[in-house]
Amino acid sequence: MSAVLQSLVNQPYKHGFVTEIESDIAPKGLNEDTIRLISAKKNEPEWLLSFRLKAYQKWLTMTEPDWQNVQYPKIDFQAISYYSAPKPKKKLASMDEVDPELLRTFEKLGVPMHERAALAGVAVDVIFDSVSVATTYKQKLAEVGIIFCSISEAVHNHPELIQKYLGSVVPVGDNYFAALNSAVFTDGSFCFIPKGVKCPMDLSTYFRINTESSGQFERTLIVAEEGASVSYLEGCTAPKFDTNQLHAAVVELIALDDADIKYSTVQNWYAGDENGVGGIYNFVTKRGLAKGRNSRISWTQVETGSAITWKYPSCILRGDNSVGEFYSVAVTNNYQQADTGTKMIHLGKNTRSTIVSKGISAGHSNSSYRGLVRIAPTADGARNYSQCDSMLIGDQCGAHTFPYIQVRNNSAKVEHEASTSKIGEDQLFYFSQRGIDAEEAVSMIINGFCKDVFQQLPMEFAVEATKLLSFKLEGSVG
Amino acid sequence: MSEIASNDYLECLLKSWSIKPTESQSWLNQLRSQAIDRVSAQKLPTKRDEEWRFTDISSLTHLPYRPSQSECALQASDIEHLYLNEAENSLVFVDGHYSPELSKIVDQAALVIGNLPEFLSTHSATLECHLGQYATFENNVFSALNTAFLRDAALILVPKNVSVTRPIHLLFIATQQEVTSYPRCLLIGETGSNVTIIEDYVALQDATYITNSVTEISLAANAHARHIRVQRENTHAFHFANCAVSLAHASHYQSASISLGSHISRYNLDVRLLDEAAECIIDGLTLISDRQLADTHTCIDHVKPSGTSHQQHKCIVDDSAHAVFNGKIIVRPHAQRTNSSQSSRNLLLSSAAQIDTKPQLEIFADDVKCAHGATVGQLEQEEIFYLESRGLSELAARNLLTYAFGAEIISRIPVTSLRQQLEQAVLNQTQGK
Repeated sequence: MSAVLQSLVNQPYKHGFVTEIESDIAPKGLNEDTIRLISAKKNEPEWLLSFRLKAYQKWLTMTEPDWQNVQYPKIDFQAISYYSAPKPKKKLASMDEVDPELLRTFEKLGVPMHERAALAGVAVDVIFDSVSVATTYKQKLAEVGIIFCSISEAVHNHPELIQKYLGSVVPVGDNYFAALNSAVFTDGSFCFIPKGVKCPMDLSTYFRINTESSGQFERTLIVAEEGASVSYLEGCTAPKFDTNQLHAAVVELIALDDADIKYSTVQNWYAGDENGVGGIYNFVTKRGLAKGRNSRISWTQVETGSAITWKYPSCILRGDNSVGEFYSVAVTNNYQQADTGTKMIHLGKNTRSTIVSKGISAGHSNSSYRGLVRIAPTADGARNYSQCDSMLIGDQCGAHTFPYIQVRNNSAKVEHEASTSKIGEDQLFYFSQRGIDAEEAVSMIINGFCKDVFQQLPMEFAVEATKLLSFKLEGSVG
Repeated sequence: MSEIASNDYLECLLKSWSIKPTESQSWLNQLRSQAIDRVSAQKLPTKRDEEWRFTDISSLTHLPYRPSQSECALQASDIEHLYLNEAENSLVFVDGHYSPELSKIVDQAALVIGNLPEFLSTHSATLECHLGQYATFENNVFSALNTAFLRDAALILVPKNVSVTRPIHLLFIATQQEVTSYPRCLLIGETGSNVTIIEDYVALQDATYITNSVTEISLAANAHARHIRVQRENTHAFHFANCAVSLAHASHYQSASISLGSHISRYNLDVRLLDEAAECIIDGLTLISDRQLADTHTCIDHVKPSGTSHQQHKCIVDDSAHAVFNGKIIVRPHAQRTNSSQSSRNLLLSSAAQIDTKPQLEIFADDVKCAHGATVGQLEQEEIFYLESRGLSELAARNLLTYAFGAEIISRIPVTSLRQQLEQAVLNQTQGK
């Protein structure tokens, strides 16, 4: 299936929309000039250029990390082109032109009709007026004072906010890939929820219709002021194909007093074929700063795609009584690798964190949970509960757990539990005597296994994620 | 710590070994020279090494590196209180050197027991198969140093189907200041044998010294061994220990390691379940205070199917002490029907105490049952309140609860007199406050 889809996205352009792609691609390689070029192309102010250059200088002094439990051939950073203007995507005239395989995928996932068209790249205005929908949403958001736009737009329209918050959670020199991203990021999203505003809708709804690729070095910044709250969904259950192999994104969340940010991710990028050839490297730095008192940051992720997933959405719990949450399902099949988990850094008093991680490995894949719970001496009364369960399907795959627990305060209470299991013969037998076939039974068992995480997802995505999982693991049991 | 300093340190250590023992056994000379090569090729680990990231041993390089002298001024009466009533056989090593005068051997006929050099000519082939084969020194500088300096060693070989009813006491006494000693033990349990050994590290002085010990245990099919390890060095000591255990078909290894002493201690325990149906039960208790640091790294490697391992490690940390636990469980591909459980429980008694724990699972087989858990916390207020409501003072309540926390491990030690001594040690620790 994947090969068909790959060829679909790579099809030469034939439907008559104009594009000047070639003229807007920066030469391959990374040096100061490339960064200046990116900055100039995007018409950026001086401070942002110096931000990028500082990151680049840092990056030069760093070495690529090698402690992770994933293997990949060395990346040649000089072979990447770091800037290309957003490519206008080829539009298909109607649903009839869409690859039937892709349509079957949508069918299985239960993606609504009108969205299927948008996702398949059919000119959406034929069926569904995305522009007007987007405008309606934007108006609605603007009414309550929410800023939701691309980072480039925000740099021009709200420079004071960007200058204040960009790089404040993930500093330019934080890690190798974050430094690279800070130097060359091209675009991403910015979201600002002013004081006391509860965002009237899941920002997912808007985002989903606009799944235009925002590039391999994406940057997301979300700021929730005092008492504000927002739920943000990144990605999409539908398969996303991209020719860029390395994705090094940075996501920063900042929650002030009493603010609440919920960030959900559903990732289903190209995972390579069944022999492990190709696929995307998803190396992302995600971090939330619960800066204010009683603030809350919650990460939920469903990771099913990518050849390699390597990320640790983290929470720095600085404000007193702040709360950090991490709910994750990571599914690996064939030759996929995942090294994911979270970091909960407790600094404030009475901070609480919950970690629920579910890893499912099948085929020849390897999945690791790597987590850090650190209780600083200042974190009186801190509380953490972690649970990480693995399920192995077949005897060729691996599951690993690396939980680091560092406690520097004796009033803290930290609990960690992990277990490994498989789908038992007797479980399957029970299902079959109730008239449920093996495929369905596996799907239900896995669903139960992941229930704690799916409950955290917005409703419609929970439904899709459930189907996505059984779809991903199709044929790996029985 | 600079690289140069650490290399110098190792070089000086090697040079200090002036009495180069040469045996008729060429394999032993070869083993030593391999180890010397590995020492030269390595550096002392620093906090930048993942395996040592919580344990800073840079202060080690500031210490003198004299090897210990073999003369021994101790009389049996000096160490009367250190003997255990239950143990008929005691091998005593003073600063790493075997002391035949202090040792008591009664079971000479039933089993091979004594100092390694005595048996080099008679049991050469057996020793060659075992010595240095389990505690690999390829990437372990301390194990390499110990092997390079290998001369005296406690050797116990339990023949086929022999069951030794009374425990064997291996007593390692530190008497000299500012020296490094290299204790070594080798236990070979032949098919169907059964033995209990107590590895006991004590100090009769109060100054700094370094102990670098290596223990190797090999159990053949259906062999049983209980291994009790008590580390009660003085609080200025540095204690580095490696223990490697190899388990054959349906063999059974049960260990309890108690860490009480040392300024900085590090204990590596590697258990490999090399054949089907092997079983191990591993208990650990760390009880430290002041500025002590105790680091325990264990690795249980399930190589073949149907193995069982149960591990329980507890730390009680007071004052500014720092306890580190890293427990790795590996289930190799096709090691199906493995049943493994691990728990790391930690009790912090003071606000400056530190814990770093990392229970780690690496699983490559699907039909397995593996679970681990870790908790860190202080004494429950409600439990203290309950005891206070029964008329105990707060201090007594705290002591009782702390004692109970540690007693769970100690109560499983099968040697009564040792158990009582350890219970007393836990009580002293908690009642000093």
